Amino acid sequence: MTATSDRLSRWTPAMFACALVNLGLALLLAVGGLAWPAVPATAPVSLAMVHLLTIGWLTLLMFGALFQFVPVITSRKLPSQTLPLLTLIGIECGLALMVGGFCALGRSAWAGLLLPIGGGLVIGALLVGGATLLVPLAAKRPVSLSARFVLAGLGFLLLTILLGLSFALALTVPATVPALAPLLADGVAYHALAGLGGWFTLTAIGVSYELLPMFMLAPHERGALGAAVLWVGVGGFLAAVAAGVAATVWPAGWLAALEPAGRGVIVLALGLYLADVVLLYRSRRRRQIELHNRAAIGAFVALGLAVLLAVGAVATDRLAALAPSLVLLVLLGWLSGLGLTQLYKVVAFLSWLSRYGGRLGRGPVPLVQDLVNEPRAASFFVLYFASVAVAAGAAAFGLADVIRAALAFALLAVLLLAREYARAWRAVYARAAPAAVPRSPTIPGPEGVPR
Amino acid sequence: MTQTAPRTLDVRPELRAGGEPFPRIMQAVASLEPGQTLRLLATFEPIPLYAVLGRKGLAHRAIHHGEEDWEILFTPEASAAPAPPPPRPASGGHVGDGAGWLAPKQSLDNRGLQPPEPMVRILSALEQLAPGEVIEAWNDREPLLLYPELEARGAAIQVRQEVAGVRLLIRRGG
Repeated sequence: MTATSDRLSRWTPAMFACALVNLGLALLLAVGGLAWPAVPATAPVSLAMVHLLTIGWLTLLMFGALFQFVPVITSRKLPSQTLPLLTLIGIECGLALMVGGFCALGRSAWAGLLLPIGGGLVIGALLVGGATLLVPLAAKRPVSLSARFVLAGLGFLLLTILLGLSFALALTVPATVPALAPLLADGVAYHALAGLGGWFTLTAIGVSYELLPMFMLAPHERGALGAAVLWVGVGGFLAAVAAGVAATVWPAGWLAALEPAGRGVIVLALGLYLADVVLLYRSRRRRQIELHNRAAIGAFVALGLAVLLAVGAVATDRLAALAPSLVLLVLLGWLSGLGLTQLYKVVAFLSWLSRYGGRLGRGPVPLVQDLVNEPRAASFFVLYFASVAVAAGAAAFGLADVIRAALAFALLAVLLLAREYARAWRAVYARAAPAAVPRSPTIPGPEGVPR
Repeated sequence: MTQTAPRTLDVRPELRAGGEPFPRIMQAVASLEPGQTLRLLATFEPIPLYAVLGRKGLAHRAIHHGEEDWEILFTPEASAAPAPPPPRPASGGHVGDGAGWLAPKQSLDNRGLQPPEPMVRILSALEQLAPGEVIEAWNDREPLLLYPELEARGAAIQVRQEVAGVRLLIRRGG
């Protein structure tokens, strides 16, 4: 491995690798029949799978990406490269204990010990990670649109943690049950909405507003539409989550009305975002779109389908029946899809930077695109999104075996993509085709000393 | 200095119709007489074009007349002042931007280029400088990933955010 010096966020590559392992484990639990869809979604192992996906995969991926990109969008360094390591260790160890705790739930008293300790570790790690990101985000003025999305996302992360903490208390400390029982019955939907919507989706939108224009040469300034996506989105998620949670405790009429209004506003925000994404692709100055942004269209389609499905499900009063499809579209189609596609570029870019940064201008170096094999990876992205589409479709009809088979193909696609990321990181393709790099006769000077 | 009247190319109707005027622009450039200026009328500032035509030895000067109304003059560098932003003597020996730096030997317009192209161009140009010489570069954003590379090479940088982009002055150490 090349020395990364301070070109890269030091622990970001390790976070990406751990995140991918967690994604693989989660899919393996589903495919192997230990978790949903073979058993109920509320079964302990299903909860373990969900937290492997949300904390182990998406949160870790998001923090790995943010540790790298927040310094770029704020032009400020992180206060420390050790705090991200603590975040990684805390999340991984805490998650392992949580998974153990979920598996012990209802079987062993260990659950009462493992869940709060594991959850506490994860929460501590997330607070450390969030504070590490807040330092550059708070210092930079003016605050860019992307940074605003990240700040909003971190706020919702805190809200998600607080709601999760309430469940953990209700599940493990009997004395708190009377007060928290209503929340435990109805609050899971709001924990999920705050996490999947407020934290992941708002942050992913912010990161997409940075990465899409950067690599498609589209206008960075998103103007009134981008600002509308931010404020309408924050307002919608906040109203829906806060009113929904409050209504479980105080069943007031106006609270019950505010919650669906908030959900309507969320639909509006996501519709505005997708319209802006279409504008972004159309206004690009690069005619050729690189694979990661071609494949990302699959994630945007999944988000659009999820919005339409949510609206249709509410309109026909079938939300409970269609919830699994909705969660699959959001979790695997939109969020994981965007993550996997953007990773494809990000890993190659970071690998290129750490490998060749010191030699730039002093001799020939490969291009970033020489580190990837787009035709090969393209079919893996097709396999991934097609599998997720089949799984989401099968979930609408409760076809557990079809879901499992489709997720097996999704897992295969993830493994194949992970191998491509590893190849980009080790510059396998660049070494295989050194002839693609002509030596420039006009640039004198010694070869750079590898550091 | 002999001056041929500028050749005017108005691509605004084509852009409004959703067309791609790039081939026509390149045709017009190819048919310019020596020393002749191309006057391009467009609905937006064609920043990527600056790099393309810059490589063909054309300096640019953009005038913003109003919303969706830009006039850009592409002038052969041999017959005109060096590329704006701010024209300055291209020869060494003059005092540059404060701190006793030399005037920039070269100006790179990296706006509209996909990362990592701006960094590659800056470092390639830097390696061709003599110690103490300076280059100017215009980027879309502050080049945070460039700083460690400059530090490793003992180069110094001045960064200023301006309306048109981020202006960098980079001096080779040694």
